Amino acid sequence: MGLNLDLWSTKIKDEIYGEVTDEFLELLLKGMDLAFFFSSGYRRNIDGFKGRYLFRTSDNKVAASAIFKDGDMQVRDSAIADWDVRVTFKNAKALRDFIFSKNQDILNSILANEVEVDGNLNYIYKFGFLARDLGKRLGVA
Amino acid sequence: MPEITFKDLSLKDFDLTKRANDLRVAYFKAMPEICTERPHLVTQFSLQEGLFKRPKISILDKARLYRYVLSNRKAIVWNNKSFKKGMIPFEFNDNSLFAGSTTTKFKGVPLYPEFLALALWPELWTITKRANNPFYISEDDAKELNYNIFPYWMENNISELARKRMFEENRTKLKIDKYAPEMKLLERIVFFLASKPNCISHTIPDFSRAINEGLRAVIDDAKDRGSKTSDTSQKEFYKAISEVLEGIIAYSRNLANKAKEMAAVETDRTRKNELLNIYEVNSHVPEYPARTFREGLTTIWICWIACHLENPNVGLSLGRLDQVLYNLYRHDIDNNVMTIEQAIELISCLWIKIGDHVPTIPDAGEQLFGGTGSNQAITIGGVDKEGKDAVNDLTYVMLRATELMMLRDPNLNARYYNGINSTEYLKRLCEVNVTTRATPAIHNDKAVIRALTGKGDSIEHARDYGVIGCVEPCSNGRTYGHTGAILFNLTSVLELTLFNGRHRHTGMDLMISKETGSPVNFTSFEQFQKAFEEQARWLVTQATNLNNIFGKVHQDYYPTPILSALFEGPMEKGKDVIQGGAVINSSGATIIGLADVADSLSAIQKVVFEEKSLSFKEMLAAIENDFKGYEILQKRLMNPDKTPKYGNDDDAADKNVTWLITTLDKVFGEKENYRGGRYRVGYWTMTNHAGFGRLMKALPSGRKARENFTSGITPVSSVTPVLTKTLNSVAKQPAECIANGAAFNLKYTPETSTTEKRDVMLKNFAASVEGCFDYAGTGTGAMEIQFNITTHDMFVDAVKNPDKYPELLVRVSGYTAYFKDLNPQMQKEIIDRTEYLLSNGNYVYYEPFPLQKK
Repeated sequence: MGLNLDLWSTKIKDEIYGEVTDEFLELLLKGMDLAFFFSSGYRRNIDGFKGRYLFRTSDNKVAASAIFKDGDMQVRDSAIADWDVRVTFKNAKALRDFIFSKNQDILNSILANEVEVDGNLNYIYKFGFLARDLGKRLGVA
Repeated sequence: MPEITFKDLSLKDFDLTKRANDLRVAYFKAMPEICTERPHLVTQFSLQEGLFKRPKISILDKARLYRYVLSNRKAIVWNNKSFKKGMIPFEFNDNSLFAGSTTTKFKGVPLYPEFLALALWPELWTITKRANNPFYISEDDAKELNYNIFPYWMENNISELARKRMFEENRTKLKIDKYAPEMKLLERIVFFLASKPNCISHTIPDFSRAINEGLRAVIDDAKDRGSKTSDTSQKEFYKAISEVLEGIIAYSRNLANKAKEMAAVETDRTRKNELLNIYEVNSHVPEYPARTFREGLTTIWICWIACHLENPNVGLSLGRLDQVLYNLYRHDIDNNVMTIEQAIELISCLWIKIGDHVPTIPDAGEQLFGGTGSNQAITIGGVDKEGKDAVNDLTYVMLRATELMMLRDPNLNARYYNGINSTEYLKRLCEVNVTTRATPAIHNDKAVIRALTGKGDSIEHARDYGVIGCVEPCSNGRTYGHTGAILFNLTSVLELTLFNGRHRHTGMDLMISKETGSPVNFTSFEQFQKAFEEQARWLVTQATNLNNIFGKVHQDYYPTPILSALFEGPMEKGKDVIQGGAVINSSGATIIGLADVADSLSAIQKVVFEEKSLSFKEMLAAIENDFKGYEILQKRLMNPDKTPKYGNDDDAADKNVTWLITTLDKVFGEKENYRGGRYRVGYWTMTNHAGFGRLMKALPSGRKARENFTSGITPVSSVTPVLTKTLNSVAKQPAECIANGAAFNLKYTPETSTTEKRDVMLKNFAASVEGCFDYAGTGTGAMEIQFNITTHDMFVDAVKNPDKYPELLVRVSGYTAYFKDLNPQMQKEIIDRTEYLLSNGNYVYYEPFPLQKK
């Protein structure tokens, strides 16, 4: 996906405030990756941070991974083993609501069994901050 | 038995002093602010000392940590700045009689990265603006948490350490990886909640030794005991006690010195003298024995601050303050050292201080269970260890201060021993309830003492009980009972029974527990009860296993030297409270959904098995369809004339409640906790009956999906039209099986428009308590009653215009709260509670209040 931060801002804003699509996860992870590259302030968030995230849909049709290491982020469009945290989500909307807590739906996502988290929950809290911090920096969330 | 010297027990001639009033005004104006001082100091010390890399943290490590924090925290004598609504800064004249604070803020949110503080991480940029109970945080503090504090605790907080421990155990035992079944149940929320990931709390420290002997004497005692033992763990324990107590003394001295510094430059003579008084008091206590009432209160306050540096405040309670402080009070009054007005002012200032912090609750928690304070209970009245009347002048002083201040914290609990305490005292308790609308809760000494002795407490210890958190009785300062360890959703047991080990919330294709047979094939109600008991035993086993694992993690990583130094037992045993050092070592579970499950059992018994007017298959179909297409059945199930309902003095229904209570007492009582004690069961629900209600689907009782459950041990609202029958149904339940306390919520219409009506109301009010505490003259009765005395119209108006009612106090289920802080689900639950007119004993009908959006 060809992407710059301006384009990303527009697209992710549409996804957060409008109709969410299956591109949401890819857009989010790649936007983060891009922002780490361009913004030293944002990159400071992952100084010394190691973490392996696996995101997948309940039917296992969609999977993506994010690996943080040595102040860098790697995004893969496949599952990884040995994750620190695994997020299984029903659909893109559930994932969006879970991460951005739009309309404060984070709990509802879990309660409705739309999102299931395995592993260390603190990694999800960290990820939630990273996502919202990016949104704040770009004025989209 | 102390003589009551007041002619007018209401002390109505004494009003709020200007000082207390100014503090109160500022208190209600101030928004909570997140404070990073504690997490900063704790993280800094842990890094310096390499604590993150230790396989275990010793009690001495912890003690050194707390001494470091106590010695290095900012000494704040007065804090005259805060933020008001809209996060606008404001200043006020803080001249409290007590120096020091739980955080660096006037109304602070203390953070504990060792526990659940990291849940706030995603909200750091938004928490100031969130809809439910926002907290102020500066950008610098948010950055400090993000960069310099939270990252170090990702692998090191109690939840994660417990999860890893379970993984390791499961890897070898179950041959499964990265999965802990009990933890998964907890994460699914609908089965039970565990509070150990958030704290070791819900207990009452013993302040008497600190007040009467001073901490220096305790240090000397610890040194002496340490020198005489050859046991290395005991030696370490006693060394740890000295460390933390030196830390507490250092903190108080720092406050004293700061006050002296401020006095040196203060030009106002009155303020200068006040600062010098603080210097004198804090230089002396808590190191040495308190000589005055004010010094006694200061000792408690400084020790209380220290307790909250060690553990988040979730129901940590202060105990029988009117007993512990009475001698100092009497001495000062008799010797003209203090006037009654000054005593009320001191208590008022302490009450404000006690509420100087609010719990850390992430947004998700606010949505489900929001509005709670720290539930710091204070106990007054009742009988003493010998069984004699313990009500004294200080009891009435505390009641007056409570009436004048009308604060959420502390949560005042009054004990009443029918036949020993006076009826004038009971009437005064009722009067304060009418004035404040919601406090104090009234506890039945006879029933509580019977419950505690039934669990093995000595009669002297049982008589000396204090109330913890919401309503839980424990022997004051000597029972480590973590009474809120498990919050157990009983309706999930019903669900697992109805669906043969499955739960509609988690999906019917997922086996949660075990198969106990499809109820469709049951031929008797007894078969259903047997299956229910099996499912209850299974879920109780999961919940207690998890609590015990958390307890072991606390033992390895989170020893509690400060609490241990202020407790009866640890000094004698040379052992931390978390290791079983207390005199009495129990654990507490509380049950959510009692009345809803009991009414469901009654419906199944009557309609399916006795009348056979409905098959079990049809019952299941009705609840799976949320009674859509089954409206007539639902009406029938909700009609107490056709289906037995708890709360109508109907033996058929009440027996099912009794069966549940005795069964749960038996099943929990079979379980041993990680300290060698037993589990005790209670029925108080805080806001969880609304939270869990929101998650659960329709029930055989006729309750529809997502509706609130009923609070505590209270019967279901709107099906109990006659007050006396309701009182009887609750009063006949077996107190000996309710050792972890029960909250019985009643709502009375305030009938106070004339003096005559008010007098009648108070008389009937007291009679309702007497009747409930002494069921049909048997000497037995309900454990406790608590009240809301606000009109329906006022509640409705408060929903629509929250700014008009910033101070409207309500009784939730155990604790008091400000109505405006409650989430819409909880507000609805309180509005929909059955309201009775004491003038005729009947309920007042209102249409169910529609759920609001916030």
